[in-house]
Amino acid sequence: MSKMRYSRRNILKGGAAAVAASAFPAPMIWAQDIKNVVLRQAGTGVSAFNEVAAKVKEDLGFTLEMTALDSDAVTQRAATQPDSYDIADIEYWICKKVWPTGNLQAMDISKITNYDKIAGTFRDGKLTPDSVIAQGTAPHTVGFVEGPGSTTFSTQDSGWMTLIPTIYNADTLGIRPDLIGRPIESWAELLNPEFKGKASILDISSIGIMDMAMVCEAMGEIQYADKGNMTTDEIDKTIGIFMEAKKAGQFRAFWKSFDESVNLMASGEVVIQSMWSPAITAVKAQGVPCVYQPLKEGYRSWGGGIGLSAGLSGLPLDAAYEYINWYLSGWVGGFLMRQGYYSAVPETSKLFMSEDEWGFWYEGKAATGDIVSPGGTVIEQAGAVRDGGSFLDRMGKVACWNSVMDENQYMVRKWNEFVAA
Amino acid sequence: MRRANLNSWLLAAPLTGVLVMFLILPILLIVAVSFWTADAFTFRPDFQFDNYRYLFGSAVAWKVFGLTFMMAGIVWAVTLVIGFTIAFFLAFHVRTQKWQMALFLLTTIPFWTSNIIRMISWIPLLGKNGLVNQTLMGAGIIDEPLQWLLYSSFSVCLAFVHLYTLFMVVPIFNTMMRIDKSLIEAARDGGASGFQILTNVIIPLSKPGIMIGSIFVIALVMSDFVTTRFMSGSQLANVGRLISNDIGLLQYPSAAATAVVLLISVLLTIGAMLRLVDIRKEL
Amino acid sequence: MEKRPRSFYVLATFFTLFMLFLYGPTITIAILSFQGPSGGLTFPMRGTSLNWFRELFLQQAVGDIWGSFRRSLVLGLMVMVTTVVISVMAGLAFRRHFPGSTVLFYLVIGSLVIPSILVSMGIGLLFDRTGLGNHWSTSAFGAHLTWTLPFGILIMFAVFNRFNPAYEEAARDQGASTWQVFAHVVLPLIAPALVGVALFGFTLSYDEIARTILASGSRNTLPLEIWGMTTNVTSPVLYALGTLTTIFSLSLVGLVILSVTIMQRRRARNGSDAGSGIV
Repeated sequence: MSKMRYSRRNILKGGAAAVAASAFPAPMIWAQDIKNVVLRQAGTGVSAFNEVAAKVKEDLGFTLEMTALDSDAVTQRAATQPDSYDIADIEYWICKKVWPTGNLQAMDISKITNYDKIAGTFRDGKLTPDSVIAQGTAPHTVGFVEGPGSTTFSTQDSGWMTLIPTIYNADTLGIRPDLIGRPIESWAELLNPEFKGKASILDISSIGIMDMAMVCEAMGEIQYADKGNMTTDEIDKTIGIFMEAKKAGQFRAFWKSFDESVNLMASGEVVIQSMWSPAITAVKAQGVPCVYQPLKEGYRSWGGGIGLSAGLSGLPLDAAYEYINWYLSGWVGGFLMRQGYYSAVPETSKLFMSEDEWGFWYEGKAATGDIVSPGGTVIEQAGAVRDGGSFLDRMGKVACWNSVMDENQYMVRKWNEFVAA
Repeated sequence: MRRANLNSWLLAAPLTGVLVMFLILPILLIVAVSFWTADAFTFRPDFQFDNYRYLFGSAVAWKVFGLTFMMAGIVWAVTLVIGFTIAFFLAFHVRTQKWQMALFLLTTIPFWTSNIIRMISWIPLLGKNGLVNQTLMGAGIIDEPLQWLLYSSFSVCLAFVHLYTLFMVVPIFNTMMRIDKSLIEAARDGGASGFQILTNVIIPLSKPGIMIGSIFVIALVMSDFVTTRFMSGSQLANVGRLISNDIGLLQYPSAAATAVVLLISVLLTIGAMLRLVDIRKEL
Repeated sequence: MEKRPRSFYVLATFFTLFMLFLYGPTITIAILSFQGPSGGLTFPMRGTSLNWFRELFLQQAVGDIWGSFRRSLVLGLMVMVTTVVISVMAGLAFRRHFPGSTVLFYLVIGSLVIPSILVSMGIGLLFDRTGLGNHWSTSAFGAHLTWTLPFGILIMFAVFNRFNPAYEEAARDQGASTWQVFAHVVLPLIAPALVGVALFGFTLSYDEIARTILASGSRNTLPLEIWGMTTNVTSPVLYALGTLTTIFSLSLVGLVILSVTIMQRRRARNGSDAGSGIV
């Protein structure tokens, strides 16, 4: 830890109440250079890449400490320990839960250079001017607050942002084509008895319930007014359908971490499950055929972003803004796009990708040469086309976002019933 | 007498200090905070009551508590039999202290590899294409892979037994080592058979160790959530998982209510066990 | 040496089978750590190589194995020593009833039983709100103690169980001070059992997740780091780590046995039988 951190600690300790200390602007007493700043970022392993931290040191000079945790732990820390991180890397639906605790501070968009280039999805919810906004906790609905210090979300661009979008993607079913042997076109296939004992879904209630809704809707069993904000009746019906399937032995297992989904698929325990694009890449890297299967009902999407701890002020806060601007300036975007995620500012990422990479990952064109992962392994050969096509094809067909509903507590109880069934 | 008390208090002071600082204060704080930040976390204090009512009125909660107790019972019985046998072997059949120590150390080594890594490795061991299924199929014992080896209540119990047998072995072994060997010789001289010595001398004298091991195993199984989730592939729920699902969505009051009920039920269980054998009276 | 009874062979077989079961995952890990470069965490093997052992010493895409390993090792040793000291003291205190002993006893049991995630959340909150700041060596250290102490103390119960006070009385009659009685009589008698307490203390701390996860501050211990790493793609690097750990601990145990053997030989040569009648 640098000297700077100690001084901040001392100030906090010196204050009669540490809680109160964060409410006052901390005195600008540090003369040290920004190079001594240490920013601690807490997030899941999805985006806590060491390479990003190394590049920050190289480009910006200060230190970024990445801590990778599981998604539950990140939520708890963000909600209860504002002092244990400077930057929280969380998902938008988590933001909806965490923001009201007041542990994060709103960001002034006038300090963000590339704000205008951030994808529309995160600003007004519209990817293209004529897009329909998907159901659920869409990022723009929790992306702004009324002003600094406010804990109420603003319905439109207010100039104060909660999270700076980092990565996002559209999820769908992943399948083992070699073990299924026929085309899969609908979410309804997840409950097809043909795959009895070989199916899986996500065991994170806020995300799993959305997968369930996609399936129930595709089966024609339930018409939702809003999948992202179900009524208790709709929750009952949805969970009911899945409970029956579970009792009939439809599922082999549920997964909670990225790694589990990869292992389930690679070992052949499961042949069809909801899955993330980079997880499929990881299965393929083991030489196991696996397809990220676009479905006619569309995708269930998620987005992540970085938020600033309420306690951040002075020089570290300046450093954090510098970090955000750097994050959006393209290098990280290119790095993440090469893993199969999307960058919030595609335009700048393009500068850091080869034409072939840009064509393959973003435009959905056939690769002209080998496509190499950031780790250096060849993941696609020339001629390959990305499953699901271009950015606009994929993000344009988002049916819903991971959500926190009004009937959240009811949903968790039902989810517990489902798991216990 | 008073001096003796002072002495005991001084000896117990560090323990008390640690428990006050790291157990009582934090738990009190959780209770306090659940009121303190009431509107920020979007819940109201009167939810508390509702939570208990829900818990006791919900068939699922009863079922989950039932399953948790059943798991604890099964794992307790299995670990007791295995643990007692192992401890008996180490204490009475291994002759030198050197070998006792060596074999004991050998049983601890697997635990130095992180539990997560070991849990991941159950998939290649017990999975459809795992070592066990391949061996059984190779030997012609089965035609198709056994599904129930993994992601079932069987695999959960198996993992518990794997993890917790050692917690039974250690205290039983320790009490067995305290048994005066001359007692056994006296019994043998008196014409008792090996089995009689076991049931009339060794088991009664090992009771405190058995009880301590039982407390370990029951407490561990009942408060677990990671193993159950992992080994059942999230298909089974015990009380710990209800709590962690609640916490995952910041439903702290609900989680706290469940935790309180769990805590009380485990303490009651252990209290009842201590009625049978007071491990402290026999010190 | 008298002839071994038949029950010895039955029990020895049972013990061997148990060890096989105990080492099942370890063996799987050992095999899979030799996966080829494109292999994964599950069968089938895709070639064999030492690739993952080499990778283990390079930087991973996510996570810092060695940094967190150092933290876990130091923390484990800190917890081990503290657990032994506090457990022995409390064990001595509990040899007789004192006012408050029942409450304290149930508190110890409660510490074992209470859902770990609540302990870590509470400690995390406490250290955050008081401005002390969560750190693996302070808040997580305390969190680990709430976990290891019940084990240590209950094992001390088993140790002091039917502990013959005659030895102590004899020493006291000879004019030994309380401290001398403890250091020269009690301690040597309970020493072998303390190895058990120490091992429990270290192992439980080294492997702890639930109580650490919200109390470790901004830097992870090894299990947390691995847990975090599973939120991205992990590789047989984890297995290579497991295999190295096992090899290291096996050689450590081998070393202990060797040194004990040498010491015993030397002692036998010197004609002393001190210590052999203990336990």
